[in-house]
Amino acid sequence: MLQLFLIAFRNLGTHRRRTLLLGGAIAGVTALLVVLMGLSTGMKDTMLRSATTLATGHVNVGGFYKVTAGQSAPVVTGYPKIIEQVRKDVPELDYVVQRGRGWVKVVSEVASAQVGLGGIDVEAEPGIRKVLQMKEGSLDGLKEPDTVLLFEKQAKRLEVKVGDTVTLSAPTMRGTNNTVDVRVAAIAANVGLMSDFNIFVPNSTLRSLYQLKDDTTGAIYLYLKDVSQVPAVQARLRQTLAAAGHEVMDNDPRAFWMKFEVVNREGWTGQKLDITNWEDEISFINWTLTALNGLTGVLIFVLLVIICVGIMNTLWIAIRERTREIGTLRAIGMQRTRVLAMFVFEALTLGLLGTLAGALFGLVVCLSINAADVAVPEVVAVFIMSEKLNLAVNPGSVVGAMLFITACTTAISLIPSFLAARMKPVTAMHHIG
Amino acid sequence: MTKDYTLGKVVVPALRGVDLQVHPGEFISIAGPSGSGKTTLLNLIGCVDTATTGVVSVAGQDTKLLSERQLTHLRLHTIGFIFQSFNLVSVLTVFQNVEFPLLLQRKLDKAQRRERVMQLLEQVGLANHAKHRPNELSGGQRQRVAVARALVTRPQLVLADEPTANLDSVTGQHIIDLMKELNQKEGTTFIFSTHDAKVMNHANAVWRLADGKILDRLSASEAQRAMASGSH
Ligand SMILES: Nc1ncnc2c1ncn2[C@@H]1O[C@H](COP(=O)(O)OP(=O)(O)OP(=O)(O)O)[C@@H](O)[C@H]1O
Ligand SMILES: [Mg+2]
Repeated sequence: MLQLFLIAFRNLGTHRRRTLLLGGAIAGVTALLVVLMGLSTGMKDTMLRSATTLATGHVNVGGFYKVTAGQSAPVVTGYPKIIEQVRKDVPELDYVVQRGRGWVKVVSEVASAQVGLGGIDVEAEPGIRKVLQMKEGSLDGLKEPDTVLLFEKQAKRLEVKVGDTVTLSAPTMRGTNNTVDVRVAAIAANVGLMSDFNIFVPNSTLRSLYQLKDDTTGAIYLYLKDVSQVPAVQARLRQTLAAAGHEVMDNDPRAFWMKFEVVNREGWTGQKLDITNWEDEISFINWTLTALNGLTGVLIFVLLVIICVGIMNTLWIAIRERTREIGTLRAIGMQRTRVLAMFVFEALTLGLLGTLAGALFGLVVCLSINAADVAVPEVVAVFIMSEKLNLAVNPGSVVGAMLFITACTTAISLIPSFLAARMKPVTAMHHIG
Repeated sequence: MTKDYTLGKVVVPALRGVDLQVHPGEFISIAGPSGSGKTTLLNLIGCVDTATTGVVSVAGQDTKLLSERQLTHLRLHTIGFIFQSFNLVSVLTVFQNVEFPLLLQRKLDKAQRRERVMQLLEQVGLANHAKHRPNELSGGQRQRVAVARALVTRPQLVLADEPTANLDSVTGQHIIDLMKELNQKEGTTFIFSTHDAKVMNHANAVWRLADGKILDRLSASEAQRAMASGSH
């Protein structure tokens, strides 16, 4: 058996150019694959982190309040009690925040815009600091009442700076329009799509704008220690909240602002709770994830086809020599299975070493890209909700990719050997061509 | 038996009805002009090729009835083959090439293998070249490695395709002496093809082959005479 390994190693060593060529190609593809996967998971990570911090919790308890059948507000009344119950019912909880939500017109001296409004208690929001990067002012400015956080893009459009005042105007639950003047306390770096249609004010400001009571908020966002617990938590809350006497809406996997029409058509009045998860709330941008996955898949497939064709080519060139050698070994009395085992070993060695080198190189590339703080083009930034490129490498998928490529290249490179081992020894020995 | 090669649509009859019997312990020479079918015949006997019609029996076994596995086993344990074009494994050293069949057989341990290989390399005069690769050797030296590899397993039957063609007369003579010695001491059967009248000298019998047919079976001295008259 040792001799098999010896021949296999010697083969690799003797045909140094071929080995380097093949090994290099395998390493290159592995590296590319690792970088591509890093890019794709990194983008997903960034996107989900930004979206889940800015626009949704992992699980949300939101809802609608209707004064009359045809008019609904996206609020939760009596939220402190619900939070209390959530803390009791959800041991998986990391932290919980409550946010007011609305849809307002921002007016500056030169321009105006329709945006989604988020009411936050900055002090109770550990996640948001990690996601938002301030360009001007500071997040702590939002501790003061009647302040607002804008994104760079909006500030530019409205032509305002920190310290300037803008007016927010919104219809209240009673059907009248209300306005409030707020001071720009912070301008944050854009985070893609979110920065086009979201601004943040302190919860107290949102309440006074909408004339809400103190115990009313837009939604309760639950952040879990482990995202995979979402379905279980969602199902449990649905039960326990209903059991506690709350009206709970049927599951509707869409963002809350897409549900007004349905809710307004229904005949009920009063408060109903709606329990959603992060996927529901950002379902409208989920297609970008699907597209990203699809693109990665296609690229990987194309790469693999190219490398396989390349390996085939290189091996067919070497096949004459190889076939003669196989013929000789068979003539001396080596069994077919052992001949094949020898070449499997050779291909495996080449594949594993190649992919290992490639994976290491890919990791280095990923790490240096992360360290270099590469800015992404705006089109990309819109989707990944970050201006910086972040590559996340998942060890499991790197090992998976290595094994997959090794398996592919081994299978491909075995075809000539397999054919040669099936020939009559004399035919193989005198093989020309 | 007969053997046809098919080249596209052309059928080349390499052997047209050859019938021969070789007894254990014989030392047989096959003579004939180039293209007469010597290599083809040896390939059939050596089970590296199959006859188009007819039966090849080796050591009492009809080779047509054996599976590919059994044939390989037969080649490893019963037959030693010296190919016309040597067919050494280029990535292995001389020592490793000769050792290879022993490794496949798995009968001897490392020390025994070493002793056996070195003994044969000494006999073919290549003990000093054990660590060389085949491509560092001359044609004659390679041929001697091939001889050593064929003999290393002490096979019952040795097939040699022009074993002395690339050797100077002294080395050639030495190799023939080695074979002869094995033949007498261990009763090894030898079948070899050759052009060389001196080599034929040592044979029990000489089969003359022409155009894929056996012309006659002569004793060594008869063959000498026939060759001599033929060359005038
Ligand atoms: N693989 C093959 N395909 C087609 N024809 C072949 C093949 N091998 C041999 N032949 C033909 O079979 C005939 C016998 O060839 P063979 O090699 O047995 O002759 P030989 O006596 O060994 O010749 P030499 O003394 O030159 O080695 C020749 O006519 C040759 O052209
Ligand atoms: Mg020949």
